[in-house]
Amino acid sequence: MKTYLPRKLLLITICIELMGCVNVSPWERGNLAKPSMEVDPNPLQSEFQSHNYSSREAAPSHKSSSGGGGCGCY
Amino acid sequence: MQQHTHKATLQLANKNCSQTIPAKSKNILHALTSAALVLPGLLMPSPAQAAPGDRINFQYGRYEEGTRNLYGVPSKYNPISADVLHGSGTFSLTDRTKFSFGYTQDTWSGATPITTTPLATDGGNRPLTVNQVVVGASPLINSNVLLDRNLDPIGRDPLTKQSTGIVDPRSVHVMSSASPETRRQASFGLSHEWNEAAIHVSGGFSREKDYKSSFGSIGGRLDFNQKLTTVKFSGGYTSSDIGAILDHDSLPYITKTAYQDQIVRKGGAAGSDVLQGNRHDWVANLGVTQILSKNSLLDASIGYTHSNGFMENPYKAMSIIFVDPDDLNNQQTRFINGQVRALIEQRPDIRNQVALNTKYIHHINPFNTALHLGYRLSVDDWGVNTHTFDASWVQPLGNDWTLTPRIRYYSQDTANFYSDYLFSRQAFSKPLVDAQGRQVFIDRNNPNVQYFSSDGFSFFDQNGNLVDDAIAQAARPQFVTYDAGLLPKNFSSDHRLAGFGALSGGFTLTKRLWKGVDLETGFEYYTRASSMQIGSGGSSFADFDYYVANAAIKLDMERIDIPGSPLALPHSKSHASDHALHKTPPAGIMFGHMLDNKGDFMVGYRFMLNKTNGQMQQGTHAVIDQAIIDQGCSDTIPCRFTPTHMNMHMHMIDIMYAPTKWLNVMLMPTFMDMNMNLRNLFKLDGTTPAAPPGSHSHSGIGGHETGAIGDTYLSALVKLFQIPSHRAHINIGFSAPTGKVDIEQRRAHRIDPGLIHFGMQLGSGTWDFMSSLTYTGEKKRLSWGAQIGGTKRMEEKNKSGYRLGDLFQASAWGGIDLVPWLTASARGIYTWQGAIQRDFDAPSSRIGPMDFPQNYGGQFWDVGFGLNATIPRGRFAGNRFGFEWIQPVSNDFNGFQLDRKGSLAATWNYQF
Repeated sequence: MKTYLPRKLLLITICIELMGCVNVSPWERGNLAKPSMEVDPNPLQSEFQSHNYSSREAAPSHKSSSGGGGCGCY
Repeated sequence: MQQHTHKATLQLANKNCSQTIPAKSKNILHALTSAALVLPGLLMPSPAQAAPGDRINFQYGRYEEGTRNLYGVPSKYNPISADVLHGSGTFSLTDRTKFSFGYTQDTWSGATPITTTPLATDGGNRPLTVNQVVVGASPLINSNVLLDRNLDPIGRDPLTKQSTGIVDPRSVHVMSSASPETRRQASFGLSHEWNEAAIHVSGGFSREKDYKSSFGSIGGRLDFNQKLTTVKFSGGYTSSDIGAILDHDSLPYITKTAYQDQIVRKGGAAGSDVLQGNRHDWVANLGVTQILSKNSLLDASIGYTHSNGFMENPYKAMSIIFVDPDDLNNQQTRFINGQVRALIEQRPDIRNQVALNTKYIHHINPFNTALHLGYRLSVDDWGVNTHTFDASWVQPLGNDWTLTPRIRYYSQDTANFYSDYLFSRQAFSKPLVDAQGRQVFIDRNNPNVQYFSSDGFSFFDQNGNLVDDAIAQAARPQFVTYDAGLLPKNFSSDHRLAGFGALSGGFTLTKRLWKGVDLETGFEYYTRASSMQIGSGGSSFADFDYYVANAAIKLDMERIDIPGSPLALPHSKSHASDHALHKTPPAGIMFGHMLDNKGDFMVGYRFMLNKTNGQMQQGTHAVIDQAIIDQGCSDTIPCRFTPTHMNMHMHMIDIMYAPTKWLNVMLMPTFMDMNMNLRNLFKLDGTTPAAPPGSHSHSGIGGHETGAIGDTYLSALVKLFQIPSHRAHINIGFSAPTGKVDIEQRRAHRIDPGLIHFGMQLGSGTWDFMSSLTYTGEKKRLSWGAQIGGTKRMEEKNKSGYRLGDLFQASAWGGIDLVPWLTASARGIYTWQGAIQRDFDAPSSRIGPMDFPQNYGGQFWDVGFGLNATIPRGRFAGNRFGFEWIQPVSNDFNGFQLDRKGSLAATWNYQF
């Protein structure tokens, strides 16, 4: 895991560097427009999961920008 | 959806073309393809944007934890479970402006760790034995532990508490249990879109008995580079007020010295101590979504959260083992006694967190699959650094099924103020000694007067005079408690702040029933283990697992209206106009109307509120406390408590389908939640009745709450006749006992109160037959109708031993159209309900009239005033709303019951 992580980060960095270069024409975006390619394809599920994680884990909530969530005092 | 279909077809065409079609045709086709794709391509939402469309979602979910490891001591408490109900919707106000709302309600109950101690204490999870069999354990948070000279605990058998004589370093959670509690959260949002930008504002609040928060946020996005790049930003603020009702049961045992200034008494002598605090959270996020290729995109964001104020969990205590230095210095002894005391945890007042999220999404053409890979890093100034890896695979399966398996790994470091428990080298409390080495005493009758004694026989006062023996009788030793300055500033043993790793996996399955109607279900299993933490791994005492399952129905109102959709078959021409002609009965009437045409489909939501409060009634009149004490319970048990209020909320989803013109089938899942509180009954002389030994007591301002799935109704509606202006149908249905009837209250005052009051259970517990006959008529602006119906319990008793009374109801109404789309109605209602038959066959609280079967049912006469609206045209055409307030006019209660204050029924439905 540890050796893999820096490589992945490097890859991501390269990708970001390349942003200016990519050009995907509107008519090539068929796949990108599919519901499965949405950043959050199942928002009801991710909201539900995220509420469970935030009541059991100490990481900041994914959904913290939308607020709420209550105490989770259990 | 249209876009999607186009593209799928064209991809297929392209694939075929490349093999067989000559070059010229290929060019033409290519040009056509491009032209066809330009439109959807340009109209394509930027990837960061939510899918467009007016939509409504309903979701129900259940969370259930596995049992915690108590090293062989059986816990008699069920592990934590939560029932979650969620509804949300988005509506277009204009082409570019949308309004959204969300409502979530969760009710949880079960066993939760109150603190962590060495397993070797003589308390902890103290086994409860009945006939020499261990049946469970009760929490004992103040205890003693034997330590060797290295302060290592000397073990005890967890069941017998006999010393094993050898060092046992294991820790254990001390489990306490909670009666059900409900949280409600509502949020609202408004968003506006431009061609290459959007902005949204939202706000809302979350309410629990002990925790109230309000929140607001603002955010937006900007598209660049022909929507290849989207920048997103948001900021939010949450303000929370904590009013933790300190448990009247554990209160005497928890040391809360550090919070003395924040604790106030509410509700007088019979009330509760409330620990008050507030907390503020600010959050800011900045992110970018970048299209990398025609098959991949990257989403990355950074978020910062600043929190300050009361961040403790007020129900978690830290076990501190106080060791007297005198014992430590005494080299004669081999073992030292440690006094274990529980102190409310203390967390820092400030927390800063930074989170980095990345997500890479790739479309895999051969499988038509989207692969989502995510990594998240968060760091904070509490020392809790976390890593999250997750992967999901969105796989369309054909026939409108989509399966998404998902796996996630999470690891977090230990907070720098976390420990299982702490040692403090001082006595928890010891006799006060003055500068001259004399023990200090105080006068039992006057705590301001001190006496001093060096031998325990002769006492001197503050002026050095010998005190008379008679006065000295009143002297008692003055104790000094620990010095808080010698403790760490912050400490917590909440296992959520410990280091651990967690692995979870699950799937989401969606099925498009019709265009615009999706069913979705999700399942996840989660396992937490200290050994899975990256880079280290502690002991396993806090490991646990949980599973969550949920089901949702999602309605996309725009897709439904798409011409050519199967739901837009010829019959639907008549939709809005036709239905606008048929008046629907008042909102409080169930099973009151039928769909007209074969293939019609209706989805609706129904909310009912039932309020009771005020004075206790017997028969037709109010009664005084003494009468309730004498007659409200049983000959052997006097009533000691009576309800002050009880409110019931019922949420129902109506799903109705017409397989033929004369038959409709209906499915109605329900979700119930209730709350009530009690007060003491007072005798004529102003005293309260004595409690029989071993009986449940009730105190505090907290009250009781329950909430989860209620019973589920299944029905068939059969049309009897339909002639101009007159219609009639019968309903034949069943109620399935999906609501719980064995909800228990938590153990308190060393007594298990047993099953909660009949009226707080969530269902009937029996299969019930439900039938009704409905007639409706209408002429011009006038409408009228009548319904008779009833419920017959089909089983002798439910699994808790009792059976609710049968029910009969008759009502008649008249209505007038105020405007063509709005009808006002008035209704008269007669209801008869029988008393509860039999009784709980397991222990129940039996402290007031609500615990006795004879105090249920009666005859009731009510009037209802209602409004029904049908939106005839425009964006929301076909939506129907109904409200009805039902006001009691006359009551004849069986036995002793709380006065009825009325009911509200609100309905929404939409017919396809």
